[in-house]
Amino acid sequence: MNSRIIFVWILLVLLTITVGVISSFSLSYAAVAILGLSALKFIGVAFYFMELKKAHIFWKAAILIYVFLFSIITLIYLN
Amino acid sequence: MKTEPINTKNIFYPPGGILLWIIIFLELFTFGIALIAMVVYSKEESTIFHESRLFLNIAFGTINTVFLITSGFFMAISVHYLKQKNTKKSLLFLTLTMLGGVLFLGLKSFEYLDKIEAGLTIGYNTFFTFYWMLTLFHVIHVVVGLVILVSVYVGLKKEKSTTTIEDVEASAAFWHMCDLIWLLLFPIIYLLF
Repeated sequence: MNSRIIFVWILLVLLTITVGVISSFSLSYAAVAILGLSALKFIGVAFYFMELKKAHIFWKAAILIYVFLFSIITLIYLN
Repeated sequence: MKTEPINTKNIFYPPGGILLWIIIFLELFTFGIALIAMVVYSKEESTIFHESRLFLNIAFGTINTVFLITSGFFMAISVHYLKQKNTKKSLLFLTLTMLGGVLFLGLKSFEYLDKIEAGLTIGYNTFFTFYWMLTLFHVIHVVVGLVILVSVYVGLKKEKSTTTIEDVEASAAFWHMCDLIWLLLFPIIYLLF
């Protein structure tokens, strides 16, 4: 079995816990950290679990542009 | 009949199939626009959104995220074993995938019950209108995903199975889409306001 996918799963779980912990602190950049880490998790699932890593560049770019725009627009409206 | 393995590097053949990826992007845009609308409304009612967010249980949201991520991980392993023609192990991990989905729904139901008992229903305020609409819409996707996975399981279990790897990959892509949507919902609804 591909050990990379196990690594990605552990990383995703750790990032989920980290995001939960960050949200409990009143940090000035908490929103940026939460959205940034959540975007990383999104990319992890898309590229490794959905095997988008093996897909044409168009699909990789489309998902990256989507998550980037979503995070940026959310941050703009939050601040 | 000679069959060639699908070249996923071809723009028309992403893993899971192009039709499913069109659906995935449509879903992501729908949820994305709704979440941005929620953030826009939060600027007008920032106190209400903050106080309402505090009624949500972050631990439940985090545990549910772990359930879905782990379920997606098992799905990926199930597809991996099926490609190696190890149907027995593929079925085992498919069962674990479904178990993850059921656990997610169980905890979500408990959370919903808690909110209903507290009177925090869909009409309580703007925050809870978004909360119920978005999370319920996601739950419907999870239920549909589970039905698809059960049909794949039954298909693979048959002695003369007609279920192809493409069918399983498409079903897996739909299941992972539920993960992706939740990964957008969780930080915005449970953590940001």
